[in-house]
Amino acid sequence: MEAVLSHPRPRRQSFVREWVLTVDHKKIGVMYGVTAIFFFLLGGLFALLVRTDLLVPQGVFDAQSYNEFFTMHATIMIFLVIIPLLTGAFGNYLIPLHIGARDMAFPRMNALSYWLYLASGVIMLCSMAGGMPDAGWTAYPPYSVSAKGSGIDFWIFSVHLAGLSSILGAINFLVTIHKMRAPGMSFNRMTLFTWSIWVTAWMQLFGTPALAGAITTLLSDRHWSTVFYNASAGGDPMLYQHLFWFYSHPAVYIMILPAFGIISEVLPVFSRKPIFGYHAIAYSSVAIGFLGFFVWAHHMFVAGMQMSEGIPFMISSLVIAVPTSVKIFNWLATMWRGSVEYSVPMMYASLGFIGSFIIGGFSGVLVAAVPLDMDLHDTYFVVAHIHYVLFGGSVMTIMAGLHFWFPKVTGRMYNKTLGHVSFWFYFVGTQLTFFPMHFLGLAGMPRRYATYPPQYMFWNDVATIGSYVLGLGTLLIVANLFWAAKYGVKVGPNPWGAQTLEWQVSSPPPEHNFDEIPTVTDNPYRPYDPPQPEPEANPTWA
Amino acid sequence: MFSSWLPVELTQMAHNVDSFFYIMLGVVAFFFVLVEALLITFLIRYRRTRRNPTGAAVHGNTKLEVVWMLVPAAILIGLGAFCVPYVYALQKPPAQDVTIRVTGHEWYWDFEYPNGAHARTLEVPAGTPVLFDITSADVIHGFYIPDVRLQQDALPGRITQFWINIKPDMVGHVFDVPCDQFCGAGHSQMHATGRVVTQAEFQQWVSSLKK
Ligand code: HEM
Ligand SMILES: [Cu+2]
Ligand SMILES: [Cu+2]
Repeated sequence: MEAVLSHPRPRRQSFVREWVLTVDHKKIGVMYGVTAIFFFLLGGLFALLVRTDLLVPQGVFDAQSYNEFFTMHATIMIFLVIIPLLTGAFGNYLIPLHIGARDMAFPRMNALSYWLYLASGVIMLCSMAGGMPDAGWTAYPPYSVSAKGSGIDFWIFSVHLAGLSSILGAINFLVTIHKMRAPGMSFNRMTLFTWSIWVTAWMQLFGTPALAGAITTLLSDRHWSTVFYNASAGGDPMLYQHLFWFYSHPAVYIMILPAFGIISEVLPVFSRKPIFGYHAIAYSSVAIGFLGFFVWAHHMFVAGMQMSEGIPFMISSLVIAVPTSVKIFNWLATMWRGSVEYSVPMMYASLGFIGSFIIGGFSGVLVAAVPLDMDLHDTYFVVAHIHYVLFGGSVMTIMAGLHFWFPKVTGRMYNKTLGHVSFWFYFVGTQLTFFPMHFLGLAGMPRRYATYPPQYMFWNDVATIGSYVLGLGTLLIVANLFWAAKYGVKVGPNPWGAQTLEWQVSSPPPEHNFDEIPTVTDNPYRPYDPPQPEPEANPTWA
Repeated sequence: MFSSWLPVELTQMAHNVDSFFYIMLGVVAFFFVLVEALLITFLIRYRRTRRNPTGAAVHGNTKLEVVWMLVPAAILIGLGAFCVPYVYALQKPPAQDVTIRVTGHEWYWDFEYPNGAHARTLEVPAGTPVLFDITSADVIHGFYIPDVRLQQDALPGRITQFWINIKPDMVGHVFDVPCDQFCGAGHSQMHATGRVVTQAEFQQWVSSLKK
């Protein structure tokens, strides 16, 4: 006993103390990240089941299972992977560091957000026991009211908790960003990632209640014989769609704005140049956040609206492409006259993200035109669009971010060669999987089809092969990162030579982030000094 | 495999949609090539070398940024304005038409012809406007005819519409009528077969149907 006391060792915290009871924003961020990566693998597995079914025209699985697979795939990817990863994991870990704060404004509420998210995921998993939900991630009534089994009830409960977690997280981010910035950090000195999370949080705050209303009334129609969506009793199924898209269109920007923020952090570091047009990039996020609430009915051009009612929504949708294209040009200009390093995060951010995301932006412009959407709505063309923006956009960026901040979070570096190899799997896999879907849609193949006419087989098979390439790439990435978290080479505080605040503290950062709160005097993207001449290896005076 | 690029155009309207599609495709393809070319050029031209160890100290250029905001804005709004007349033309059904009532069921299409007779195949006369009154008996379905580039959802308790006027030289053409709004286990099997006939054949077919 005495011997122990006289040789004090740093006390190892128990797992429960270190993780389960933690309110540290960095630990919570890591928990969000690890949980979401687990769900990413699960959602990916469902995607591979969907693609495998479509290898042959008559389908490999029965139609009911197929419907359950694509419902689980989309729900998991949207509510349990992309949103939690971008806001919960990256947002939580980075925002306090980026603004020079010691933690989030409400650390315990932050932990609550995570546990609600985990509960939401567990409930979604439970639905697999009693008949999975099968109504798509959109769950339109009356189908979702009449669907049998408890799957949809689990789905509603799960989405509710995810929404609550999101609202609490959003409040936390807003208060933190407004109240806890380091001295000298005006809004115009915040990182662009912070700007993007700020806008995203406002969107979550205003949008999510509409979703909650939609699915609560859905639950009530299912079980308490209300008739919100029962047309024969005077209800209206279109009401659900309006409520749903009033949330879910903003949600697609919730899934891309933080990604834009990540790109704006990665590009300057690996171009060794300040970001080009800081204000244009920051304010275009605000414009997207605002306009994002005025385009929802572009999902409903053929859903029973008067055709000309689509016109204002068409115009607002085309206008919202403007701030997005501003960002693309500013990012390109950031690389222009830079000194571009082909690091793994840079490959994902440049070729991976910019190279793929723009395809989704362009197909978005095509489906936003009412006459074209009258043809292309609910076909594979829309499936191609959403995957170029969400996979080529959000997921590519998540990969950029994971490879960028990994050394900060773990203090170790992954295997860079393997990182590059898995990037190419990702890039090629994305194009192979999703580009052919444009052809299928233009040829008239509807989405959510368990079986299809034989003339669509060729491009379906190309897509399925591509999805296996993506699956392999995902396993390589996850293996690389998890291995390196334990065995990777140790790195210092700033392995990339970046300038934002998180790189000025140790890797991983100390528990309270900053020994002394920094005073900020400038915008975070300063010109990079020309490197100093290398000191001689063996100075003679030594 | 490229035969499946775009389906046949049964109507003049379908032809207009395709022309419009090619115009928009041209515009976006131009910007696509521009952005990809700049991206690849910058990646190669400005890669890090010993002689290019750091980037230029450029923070932005307001004039340039205004240009690349206003040019896409003008093009996009122009494209939108270009669509407007088409939407109004489509919305207004012609005065004299043959009306076919379409009802979606789990999982088949039912067609009610002008004399009140029902069938599960869709026969449409060429050379005259045909109006579809679309509804559903149960959940939402999607009444889609790829060969005319049009669709409307079929909702319970509501009638949606679109009209077509098939080119006379299309008589004899057989087309697919899939359901494209998810409606359950039979969704992907919910196809009707459509056939273009002459107006005389249409009258004959309708009167041959049992009421
Ligand atoms: C250039 C800007 C964009 C425009 C003009 C645009 C336009 C559209 C339109 C009109 C639709 C409806 C198509 C239909 O169902 O017929 C749509 C669907 C969709 N978009 Fe976009 N979009 C854009 C960017 C994005 C971004 C950035 C994301 C997400 C990161 C996104 C995600 C989605 C999703 C998930 C759907 C499909 C929802 C569903 O029906 O399941 N879009 N988009
Ligand atoms: Cu939308
Ligand atoms: Cu259907």
